[in-house]
Amino acid sequence: METIGRLTLQETRSFAEIFSLAGKVLYRVFQPDTYNSATRTVLINQIYFTSVQILPAFITVSIIFGSLLIGIVFQLLKNLGLTAFFGNVLIGLIVTELSPFFTVLLITLRSSSAINTEMAVMTVNKEIKTMEAFRVNVINYLLVPRIINGVISIVLLSALFSIVLMGSGILFSRVIFGMSVDVYLNILLNSANFSDIVIALLKCAAFGFFITLIPIHFGLKATHELTSIPIVVSRGMVSVFAAILIIEVLSLITKIL
Amino acid sequence: MDVPLISNQEVWLNIALIKQYHENMPGVQAEDTVLKALQRLDLVRIAYKRNPALSDEERFCAMLLRAAMVGDASIIIDRPFKIMPHLKNVNYIFQSLEKIEDLYSSCHIYDYEWMAEKYGALCP
Repeated sequence: METIGRLTLQETRSFAEIFSLAGKVLYRVFQPDTYNSATRTVLINQIYFTSVQILPAFITVSIIFGSLLIGIVFQLLKNLGLTAFFGNVLIGLIVTELSPFFTVLLITLRSSSAINTEMAVMTVNKEIKTMEAFRVNVINYLLVPRIINGVISIVLLSALFSIVLMGSGILFSRVIFGMSVDVYLNILLNSANFSDIVIALLKCAAFGFFITLIPIHFGLKATHELTSIPIVVSRGMVSVFAAILIIEVLSLITKIL
Repeated sequence: MDVPLISNQEVWLNIALIKQYHENMPGVQAEDTVLKALQRLDLVRIAYKRNPALSDEERFCAMLLRAAMVGDASIIIDRPFKIMPHLKNVNYIFQSLEKIEDLYSSCHIYDYEWMAEKYGALCP
C-alpha cells in the first residue's frame, strides 16, 4: 500500500514538473528576446539533424511501409465490399491517424532517445553548470530550439509521410480498383474533413512538443554519476511512449466529441 | 568550479557562444572573431574539433578564450595544473595569457600551496 502511495506521489510530482517546465518553455517561446544569434544557430542545427538528415531513410521507410499499408487496406476494402468507404478510410484513418503515429514513433526512436542521452551526459559532465556560470539561460539555449524543432519536424515529416501514402494510393487504386487518377483525387478531396485535418495538425504539434520536452526533463534529472544516465534515459523514454498514447487517446476523444 | 567545454559543440561554437548569446553577434561575425582569437594562439586547427579530440593545452586555451569573450573579462584560473598536469611550470599559461592580454581586464590564478614550485619566482 505504501509502495503504491509512494509511486503515485512520485508520478504526480513528475507530471506536475513536466507541465511546469512546459509552461516555462511556452512562455519563452513567445518572447522575442529568446531568439538571439546563439539560439538561432542551435535551432538551425537541430532542424538539420532531425528533419533533414533523416530524409533519405524516412522517405525509404515511408515508401516501403506506406505501400504495404495502402496495398493491404485497399485489398481488404475490396474483399469486404467496402469500396464506397475507401476515401474515408484513406483520409480518416491513414492520413490523420497512422501518418502522425508512424512519424512520431520514428522520430522518438531516433531523436528523443538522443536528446535524452545528450541532456543526461551534459548534466553529468557539468556542462549545464557551465552555461549557468556564463549566464546562458538553459531554457532559451537548450530547450526552446529543440522543442520548436520537434514540433516543426513532426508536422512536416507527418505531412511528407501522408503525401507518400497518397502517392502510393494512386498506384494501388489503379491496380486494385481500376480507378483513374482524377477519380482518386476527387474521392480524396471529398473525404477530407477540415476539422479532422486541424486535429491531426494539433496532434502532430503536441507529439513534437512532448517527445522533446519529456526527454529533456528526464535528462536534466541526471545526477553527477555516470550510472544515472541509463536510469534517466529509460524513465524518459517510457514516459515519452506513455505521452504518445495519452495524446493519441485525447485526439480520438476530441474527434468523437 | 569546473566549467568544461560543451562536448557536443565544436570549439569555435563554445567560444562564440558568449558573443552570440549576450551580444547577439551574428554567427558569421562570431566565427570570424573566434578564428582571429585562435590564430593569436596558433590554434586555428582546433576551431572545428570537439572537446574530446583536444589535447590538454588546446582544451585550456579554448576555455581561456571562451572566458576572455565575456565583456571586460576578469578571468579566474582555478588549478591550471589540474587541466594540464604534465606541465612543469607556468610558462605556457603566461605565454597564452600574454598573447590575448587585450581581451581581458584582469586575471587571477588560484592553486594549492604545494604547487608553489611550479610558479617559481611568482610564489616567494
